[in-house]
Amino acid sequence: MLKLLKEVFRTGEATHLYPFAPLEVAKDFRGKPEHNPAQCIACAACTIACPPNAIGMETDPVAGTRTWSISYGRCIFCGRCEESCPTGAIRLTPDFELAVARKEDLTKRAVFKLALCPCCGEPVAAAREVDYVATILAGPDATPDQLARTRELASTCPDCKRRNDVDLLIRMGIERQMEKRI
Amino acid sequence: MNAFTPPDELAVKPAGLSMSEDVARMKGTLLKNIRRSAYVYRVDCGGCNGCEIEIFAAITPIFDAERFGIKVVASPRHADILLFTGAVTRSMRMPALRAYEAAPDPKIVVSYGACGCSGGIFHDLYCVWGGTDQIVPVDVYIPGCPPTPAATIYGFAMALGLLDQRLKEETHHEAAGEKVALAHPDIPYGLRVQLEREARAMAGYRQGRDIVEEFLTLIETRDPAPVTARIGDLVTREGDPRRAEIFQRLQTVFTAAITGDAS
Repeated sequence: MLKLLKEVFRTGEATHLYPFAPLEVAKDFRGKPEHNPAQCIACAACTIACPPNAIGMETDPVAGTRTWSISYGRCIFCGRCEESCPTGAIRLTPDFELAVARKEDLTKRAVFKLALCPCCGEPVAAAREVDYVATILAGPDATPDQLARTRELASTCPDCKRRNDVDLLIRMGIERQMEKRI
Repeated sequence: MNAFTPPDELAVKPAGLSMSEDVARMKGTLLKNIRRSAYVYRVDCGGCNGCEIEIFAAITPIFDAERFGIKVVASPRHADILLFTGAVTRSMRMPALRAYEAAPDPKIVVSYGACGCSGGIFHDLYCVWGGTDQIVPVDVYIPGCPPTPAATIYGFAMALGLLDQRLKEETHHEAAGEKVALAHPDIPYGLRVQLEREARAMAGYRQGRDIVEEFLTLIETRDPAPVTARIGDLVTREGDPRRAEIFQRLQTVFTAAITGDAS
C-alpha cells in the first residue's frame, strides 16, 4: 500500500490541464491555416494545390471581383497551400481550437478586384497580381513610364495579345516578303 | 454527347429530420449548460479510423475526458451525445439514421473530423453523402484531419457550454489602392529566388522558408560590418550543424551571385 502510494507521488499527475490552461503544442504543429489578405496576390496556386478543395477561388466577371475562400471544415492540414504560396500569404498556425456550432463560421473569404484588359475591357486577373508581376518584371530601377508600360503588357489578355501580334506582323509586311521568296 | 451534370444534382437529397418544439427546447438547455455527465456514442460512418484513434486518445489519462463526465458508451440507447465520424458512405446512411433514432431525446449530434464536417478529402466521391449534416441535424462541428485530442476536448467543452466558440465567419474586402509589397525589395529578385530554392531544397518548404528569411534579413540589415563577415559569424554561432550547413550553402550561392561567377 505504502509502496503504491510512493509510486503514485513519484509519478505525479500525467493529465494535461487543458482546457483550463493553455496547451503547449509541438513545434511545427500543423493547425489552422492563417491567410493574410494583405500579402495575397490571388494567383490561385493554393486552390490548385489543395487536395480536398478546401480552398477555392470564384471569379465574378460582372461584379469584377475574385473571391478566395477556405473552409476549415474540409481542410486536412497538409500544408500544400503554404508550400505553393509564392508570397507567403498563407501559413499554418498552431491554432487547433476550431470547433463551431454554425457551419458558416468555418468559412473565411477574401474579395479582390479584377484588372481589366486595356484592349478589350474583359477581366484578366486580380489587379494586385498584375501589379505584383509588373513590379517584378520592370525591375527595381524602372521609371514610372516603364512600370506603366509593363503593367499594360501584363494585363493584356491572351486573345488580345495574339490579335496585337497579328496586327504587328501585317504591318511589318511579312506576307509580301514570303510571297517574294516563293 | 452527354451534357455535363453536376454531381450534386445526380444525388438524392434526403428529407431533413423534423424535431418537435419540446425536444428543441430541451436540447437548447442541454447545449447551454448540461450540469451532468454526458455519455457519448460513436458512430463510424465510413471513416479511415484516424478519428477513432484520436477519440480514444482523448479518453486516455493524458487528456482524460472523464474529468468532464464524458464517457464513451457501447449503445446509442445510453447516449446523450452522438459522435459521427467519416464522410457518410451510402451504405452507412441507414445504420447512422438507426443510431440517431435509437438515442433518447434530447440528443446532441457532433460531427467529427474533416470528413464528418463536409466530406473532407472524400467530398466528391460517388459513394459518399459528404458530411453528417446531409443526413442528420448537427449541433457542433469539430474539424481536423483527425482532430487532436485537445481539439476534441475543446469541441466537447464547447458542446457542453463550458467554452465559447473562437472561430467566426470572416470576409475581407480589398481596400482601394491596396498593393502587395514585394518582400525584400533591396535584394535582386533573381538572387532571392535562387536562395529560396536552395534553402527549400535543403530543408523543405517550411523550415527552408524560415532559414532563408533569417539569411535575407541578415543581408538586408544595414550594418558597418561587412556582409561576408556577418554571414560567417551566423554560421559559427549556429548550434545546429544541419542549419549551419544550409547557411553555408546559402553563403556559397550568395558569394557566387555577387562575384558574378554564377553558373
